[in-house]
Amino acid sequence: MDLVTVNGLTKRYGGIVALSDATFSARAGEVHALLGENGAGKSTFIQILSGAVRHDGGSILIDGQDYRPANPDAAQARGIAAVFQELSLIPDLSVEQNIWFRHEPRTLLRTVNRGEMRRKTLALLEKYSFPTLRPDRELRRLTLAERQIVEIAKGLAKDPRIIILDEATSALPAREAEWLLKLTRQLAAEGRLVIFISHRMAEVRAIADRLTIFRNGATVAAHEANAVSDNEIVAQMIGRHLDRLYPERIPTATDRVALKVQGISSGSRLSGVEFALREGEVLGVGGLQGHGQRELFQALFGATRATGAVELWGKPVSIANPRQALTGRDGIALVPEDRRGQGLLLTKSVRENLTLSVIKRFTENGLLSRQKEAELVKEMVDFLRIKAGTPEQLAGTLSGGNQQKVIFGKMLLTQARILLLYDPTRGVDVGTKGEIFQLMRDLAAKGYAILFHSSDMPELVHVADRVMVMRNGRIAATLEGDHISEEEILRAAMLETRAA
Amino acid sequence: MTVEQTAEMAQRPAEMKSVNPGIDWRGRALDRAPFLVACLMLALIVAIYGSLQSGVFTLDEINLDTAAAMTLMLAATGQTIVLLRGGIDLSIGGMISLGTVIAATRFTDDPSTTAFWALAILALGFGIGALNGLLISLLRLQPFLVTLATWSILNGIAMIILPTDGGSVPSWWVGFASAQLFGLTSPVWMLLALLVFWWWFRATGTGITIQASGSNEKSAFLSGVSITRVNLVTYGLSGLFAAGAALFLVTQTGAGSPTIGKDYILPSVAAAVIGGVSLFGGRGHLAGTLIGAFVLTLIGNLVFVLHVSSYWQPVASGVILLLSVLASSIAEKAARSRVQ
Repeated sequence: MDLVTVNGLTKRYGGIVALSDATFSARAGEVHALLGENGAGKSTFIQILSGAVRHDGGSILIDGQDYRPANPDAAQARGIAAVFQELSLIPDLSVEQNIWFRHEPRTLLRTVNRGEMRRKTLALLEKYSFPTLRPDRELRRLTLAERQIVEIAKGLAKDPRIIILDEATSALPAREAEWLLKLTRQLAAEGRLVIFISHRMAEVRAIADRLTIFRNGATVAAHEANAVSDNEIVAQMIGRHLDRLYPERIPTATDRVALKVQGISSGSRLSGVEFALREGEVLGVGGLQGHGQRELFQALFGATRATGAVELWGKPVSIANPRQALTGRDGIALVPEDRRGQGLLLTKSVRENLTLSVIKRFTENGLLSRQKEAELVKEMVDFLRIKAGTPEQLAGTLSGGNQQKVIFGKMLLTQARILLLYDPTRGVDVGTKGEIFQLMRDLAAKGYAILFHSSDMPELVHVADRVMVMRNGRIAATLEGDHISEEEILRAAMLETRAA
Repeated sequence: MTVEQTAEMAQRPAEMKSVNPGIDWRGRALDRAPFLVACLMLALIVAIYGSLQSGVFTLDEINLDTAAAMTLMLAATGQTIVLLRGGIDLSIGGMISLGTVIAATRFTDDPSTTAFWALAILALGFGIGALNGLLISLLRLQPFLVTLATWSILNGIAMIILPTDGGSVPSWWVGFASAQLFGLTSPVWMLLALLVFWWWFRATGTGITIQASGSNEKSAFLSGVSITRVNLVTYGLSGLFAAGAALFLVTQTGAGSPTIGKDYILPSVAAAVIGGVSLFGGRGHLAGTLIGAFVLTLIGNLVFVLHVSSYWQPVASGVILLLSVLASSIAEKAARSRVQ
């Protein structure tokens, strides 16, 4: 018998239908992939399953019994744990306090039994071969990837029968992502149901037994994983055949150097990086995660202190006080790693997010010109095809792909022609990914210079004109033309590691 | 899939180290920097005070100063819980006033009557606080606005009960503040009791949940926390401690006052902030708040022995508050740059 059976599930938010007819069934002991574009209803579906929101209609049966959790607690009581993409962790608690939050072992005085909690933490981390974590470290001191791992541990701590992994690999470096895939199989082998959500087809292929595809709030198909092709899956996800994910790569680079970097260093993570990014060029930055890519982007944007010489459009600029020096037409714009934390004000409207940093551009004699603002906003919404009801819709209510488009719009409105894109397709659906790649090539053709980091290697291979591979804070190799391949990138990234 | 296969799959990828428990000493020191700065300030003030006035380093002085600071300490304990939750409670001003006027009009020489009213005041404090929490949750209003409103209401009721300062409490109630055990007066024992309470409270599920909700409310909700219940308990405790502050205050004044509570609203917040409690929730410790309360109280003594106008007291308090905020922001920056 199926462990979970969902029929005709519906959910509305005001006038917006998030789920219209979701059907789903899954067995214990399987990895069941949930696929669909952003906005297809996956998030709503798992929020309902995990008790964060309540459904309006339809039925959910678990073990044949009606299931309608009033809150996350009730869901946990029925053995359902969700590993959220927007993590459910508490910044000011330690790793172990987060893992056992509200389920801490207690002493006779009703206080937390710290010794017991530490013992249980180590046992849990050991049982599932977790990557290194310091149980006493406060969560806010952890990187995004480490937090994701803690969130996974927190889900497992409840020993759930059903565990939902929402884009859990997207924040993880390659090695940890690989560990998670193995963990997923291990959990299924223990007889649990794993509901696995990912935009990376290769991962789904590697571990899923069955898959269910959502589109526009409804289930369009369910398959045995080995009985369906990638093309069929993608076609069902987007409702048409995607001709190609990656746009044609026509070289548009000129001889003019937009960004010249000489000997830029920052702490131990970045040492003596040199390169030149040309007008009209998409320059990829690759390598294994944690080899200085993040530090390079942060140093260029002035988020960390760095030494070295930087020239923008032939003019030397100080990176001691970069924010001032790098803004405006001749400056730099950044798409940051953590779009929810750094890039977007979720409780503000699309309009406000777009124009917040460029208010000067539609100010006349000290007064805001609402008309001018509206024109700029409309232009951007149309250009990027942002799917929002009105420009006044709150950014937090948009799908992940559309949020990312708003960040692109915000960046383009600064008029800077040097763009730093740090993993711009993270957690973005296939359709929007294609649009973002096309946009990058279009911008390059218009003379923009783009520095592009992606944690998904094929993106670098197919979109960038050249790829710089980083290793231990240095440029290990710069690949061009036919030499750009996943194999070459990996070779350059791992050469030293292998020798050691 | 066989057990062996599963075990093989669980092999840790190469280069991933095993679990490494250990103590992050530097991180902890940075976290406690504002608290350490508060301790330093207190030490400095005590040193100056002690060099100008004889008899500062005696048990008597400790007894006296603790009694002088205890009302603020009780009020600030409640405020610390609310700040930890990421809120603020202005209504404690009204609750303290109301508590003193009820005590001054209802307490009699009959111990059982007085005990009844004392318990009633405490219950009222918790009830009104819980109501604050309920209003904040159900109406989704700012804590600042809700507690501003209840402050005004409670203040008005206090005025109706006792329009001017007056009334009285029995002498044995007043005598409580100077009762001694092993050479220490009851306020010093209360101070120790507060610390023990905090040590316990912070490790309980309720304490952790309050802190977690102040650290990140959405995460707490997703983890199964009932935000309504958290607010109810948080503001309830704040009201309870404010009522306790009122009961102690009348041992010092011997009478009721319908306006006295407002003198404790902002100082209760200041004491917490000086002690390193974050206004944004999630971080702080009662020990810091109590140090902060001592700092604010001793500033008054210092101004007195320096023979300058007492108007310098608020000036000095303000400067100290600024220094504290500065210290915590520097520590915060240092901690953040360490992460990167």
